Amino acid sequence: MRAIGKGSLASILAMGLNITRIILWLGFVGLSVALVVIPFASIVYGMFQGFQGGGALVESADYIEIAYQFASFGVMLFVVTRLLEVLKTLRFGSPFVKENADHFRTVGYALLIGEGAKIAFGLLSLITSADVEINTQPITWLAIITVFVLAEVFHEGARMKEEQDLTV
Amino acid sequence: MAISVKLDRILLDRGMSLTELSERVGVTIANLSILKTGKAKAIRFSTLEAICHELNCQPGDILFFDDEDNAVKAAE
Repeated sequence: MRAIGKGSLASILAMGLNITRIILWLGFVGLSVALVVIPFASIVYGMFQGFQGGGALVESADYIEIAYQFASFGVMLFVVTRLLEVLKTLRFGSPFVKENADHFRTVGYALLIGEGAKIAFGLLSLITSADVEINTQPITWLAIITVFVLAEVFHEGARMKEEQDLTV
Repeated sequence: MAISVKLDRILLDRGMSLTELSERVGVTIANLSILKTGKAKAIRFSTLEAICHELNCQPGDILFFDDEDNAVKAAE
């Protein structure tokens, strides 16, 4: 399989990541609409239920779940965008540039923030009735460490490439 | 960097242009410019040998060691 160009693994990955990015943006739009519409729907439904003596439709726990979804979608979108930037450098020549080391490092930090948010929202769900589980997996932490190791490898690779380019 | 390259001076002494040296040595002008401007991180022995052969000089005529750190410390 070719390394770059049409039909290469990089181009297939880029296509997949672009589709993922569109889906994530749609998810963001959906969540934003939900955030605006839910209070009104709640008021209308609450009034309607009020006539029949029913309870409120939307609780604060629902907003916690939406906020959690916003955070996880944000992290995913950030990671996908950074990975697309990395693939772009592959298309334009060598991937061993300092920018890619920074991209991988920021991806690592974003994943850390994502896991932290997951735990924080999970803890918040304990005091509310929000449906967010604290189910952090060891493999996720291993993946985060792998990304940081990759960042270091790319950093050293970029330094070696620069040295090679400046060897006469 | 503590090592500096004085290629322009020796080229002037020999009356040779960078383009001519590039053709004789078989190193691109871009790479020789990197060497001349002091941006090079390393030089291959084969390149140094070819340059010295064409310019009829010693490596010490091209490369100089500027001990700036020690000079600064001595001044302090």
